[in-house]
Amino acid sequence: MSNNQKKRNFQIEAFKPKEVVDPKYAEKTWKILENAIHEIYNHIAGGLNLEELYHNAGGLNFEELYRNAYNMVLHKFGEKLYSGLVSTMTLHLKEISKSIEAAQGGLFLEELNRKWTDHNKALQMIRDILMYMDRTFIPSNHKTPVHELGLNLWRDNIIHSSKIQMRLLNTLLELILIERTGEVINRGLMRNIIKMLMDLGPSVYQEDFEKPFLEVSADFYRVESQKFIESCDCGDYLKKAERRLNEEIERVSHYLDAKSEAKITNVVEKEMIANHMLRLVHMENSGLVNMLLDDKYEDLGRMYNLFRRVPNGLSTIRDVMTSHIRDTGKQLVTDPERLKDPVEFVQCLLDEKDKYDKIISLAFNNDKTFQNALNSSFEFFINLNSRSPEFISLFVDDKLRKGLKGVSEEDVEIVLDKVMMLFRYLQEKDVFEKYYKQHLAKRLLSGKTVSDDAERSLIVKLKTECGYQFTSKLEGMFTDMKTSQDTMQGFYTSHGAELGDGPTLAVQVLTTGSWPTQPSVTCNLPAEMSALCEKFRSYYLGTHTGRRLSWQTNMGTADLKATFGKGQKHELNVSTYQMCVLMLFNNAERLSYKEIEQATEIPSPDLKRCLQSLACVKGKNVLRKEPMSKDIGEDDVFLVNDKFTSKFYKVKIGTVVAQKESEPEKQETRQRVEEDRKPQIEAAIVRIMKSRRVLDHNNIIAEVTKQLQSRFLANPGEIKKRIESLIERDFLERDNADRRLYRYLA
Amino acid sequence: MRREETVKLISAEGFEFVIDKKAAMVSQTIRNMLTSPGSFAETEHGEVTFPEISTTILEKICQYFYWSLQYASGKETEFHIEPELSLELMMAANYLHT
Repeated sequence: MSNNQKKRNFQIEAFKPKEVVDPKYAEKTWKILENAIHEIYNHIAGGLNLEELYHNAGGLNFEELYRNAYNMVLHKFGEKLYSGLVSTMTLHLKEISKSIEAAQGGLFLEELNRKWTDHNKALQMIRDILMYMDRTFIPSNHKTPVHELGLNLWRDNIIHSSKIQMRLLNTLLELILIERTGEVINRGLMRNIIKMLMDLGPSVYQEDFEKPFLEVSADFYRVESQKFIESCDCGDYLKKAERRLNEEIERVSHYLDAKSEAKITNVVEKEMIANHMLRLVHMENSGLVNMLLDDKYEDLGRMYNLFRRVPNGLSTIRDVMTSHIRDTGKQLVTDPERLKDPVEFVQCLLDEKDKYDKIISLAFNNDKTFQNALNSSFEFFINLNSRSPEFISLFVDDKLRKGLKGVSEEDVEIVLDKVMMLFRYLQEKDVFEKYYKQHLAKRLLSGKTVSDDAERSLIVKLKTECGYQFTSKLEGMFTDMKTSQDTMQGFYTSHGAELGDGPTLAVQVLTTGSWPTQPSVTCNLPAEMSALCEKFRSYYLGTHTGRRLSWQTNMGTADLKATFGKGQKHELNVSTYQMCVLMLFNNAERLSYKEIEQATEIPSPDLKRCLQSLACVKGKNVLRKEPMSKDIGEDDVFLVNDKFTSKFYKVKIGTVVAQKESEPEKQETRQRVEEDRKPQIEAAIVRIMKSRRVLDHNNIIAEVTKQLQSRFLANPGEIKKRIESLIERDFLERDNADRRLYRYLA
Repeated sequence: MRREETVKLISAEGFEFVIDKKAAMVSQTIRNMLTSPGSFAETEHGEVTFPEISTTILEKICQYFYWSLQYASGKETEFHIEPELSLELMMAANYLHT
């Protein structure tokens, strides 16, 4: 008796085995128990105190009932006891069923609930007194345990009774419908009834309630969503759908099985969202496009959260967003109005990007796939305009010239990062490089850059983005600037004394190749200047043997001190060309265009531009022109404008700066870019072939395109030409058997 | 001791043993008797009559209840059973589901 385990090891004979001589023993004992079961049901149903029952029933108590049941089982009357229990309980349940059926209207569920509670209580008591049977007889005879038996009987006699089954279902569904229309129902009662169905086994809950519930819900939401979509705009519809969804989730948490949540939300999602997805997205005046246009973060967020629940929901949003961005972007980059101002053009792109970044972070949960879609859309439309690289470079140029003045370092970084982001979208990065180099050269030579740090920071960014090769020349430009400073210092320490009061020279020695120099005709410098230049040349070549210097007069600037007719003095900041022109007037009153051209040998288009800025710009017209007109003619005559005044001492006379490139210049740059690409393509082909030895045509094209992707999008036709050129030069050969195969010749 | 915490066990001969409810509930049968939802007479009065268990055995059973509680709380001692009682005790154990 020390523990249960030991005890079960051997069968125990009846406790105090009395010989059952009385043949009516079983019958008598069962009568007692049957009576007790009746009493239990009646007592619970009638709310009677068991003590009265105890007295009325002639001294029955737990111990006695238990003992009787115990003895019946011991004396092999288990079967009689069990079947007796089944029939007695069934009898009671049939009565209960009648009383539930009789309940009117709203009382039905309450009656059902009350009887259910009673039954549970009775079942518990019956199980307790029949515990011995539950413990020994039932497992060894493979019968259903008492508790489960009670539930099964309840299910068969009550829930599945013909008069209750449908009524119960309809009542439940009706109550849910009432609740959906916004009225309050007795949720506690609902919970109890649903709990009852769940207690009776998952199949009862599913078959007798959940399945029809889902069907009815689907119908309900199908009708409702149809009604909403006819009458609401997209935003309102989504609000309603969201509310419905939350209602259903709340309903599940209040009185349904937690497992139903996925199923019912699925129904709502399907009926309210999936079925109307396209219509919602494309809804006129309120659909996705309008939300994007109006930055409706809340609505967009709602749409995202609802659509993500249904298959293909997000891709629908994404596709519409992508095509919208592409369309607007395309309009933006091809709008001729926009193209007039590169800075504003790029600013528009940045604003557009900011707008969508914000939408994605606020409404679309920073979804990676959306970010990718955004990026690919930008890449798509930025490259639609072949001038994008130029414009982005111009934008940087503008920012670095003046835009960043007085802006904190962090803000500079932000702007530069944004530019880099646009840069990443470019397919023709080498074109950008070309323009960037030009613009950088102009900035450096004219000393216009606002912040060296910002310049360098951008170069570092470009380097991390595209590698060393991309920026080595740009860095070379900075180095040249630095060494030039040192060189000039050296020049003045050694020659300073003999130069005296003459003009000061600042030479920037530029490495050919690093700088975007154009082969230009050197103009005739004024005598004082050319003497000085000669001195510098001999000084420089003296220290650096074996080099060649050529003057790039088209890129220089000069500061002139000028005195005008009435004695007003000004310092003029001009270009080298302008300086040459103005110096001529030291010795002459009036000069004709032809004379100036002869004396300076400045190329005629440059000279015209230079004269235009000297004579035709109001407020900066240090020269006077006869006849007065906007344009420079070959027969014009120029005089010093004695009446020139300015409220500033220093006057900066800009050349009509080449802001945007003109059409021929553009063609030229393009051509140079194409030219530059050739060796790069060839190098890539050779690199690939060197490692692969043999490769077919399509694979070469693919590999080359991949290798050069970070710089530009190589044109297959061009690659083919390069291959042919390499074959001619015996780098490669075609395979004799298979003409599509190329072989590398070491 | 308060009445709610004790229970009176009565032997066939009418001897009464008042013991802690906690101890009595070592028997699954007694536990059910006392905790069943319907208020049985036993629950009402806090006493249980065992007309088929003799005083000697019931006494031994009560001793066992307390021993069992101790054993469960980690105090491992031997529970001595006189050989002549063992059969009856085992039958009572089966009955009481102990």
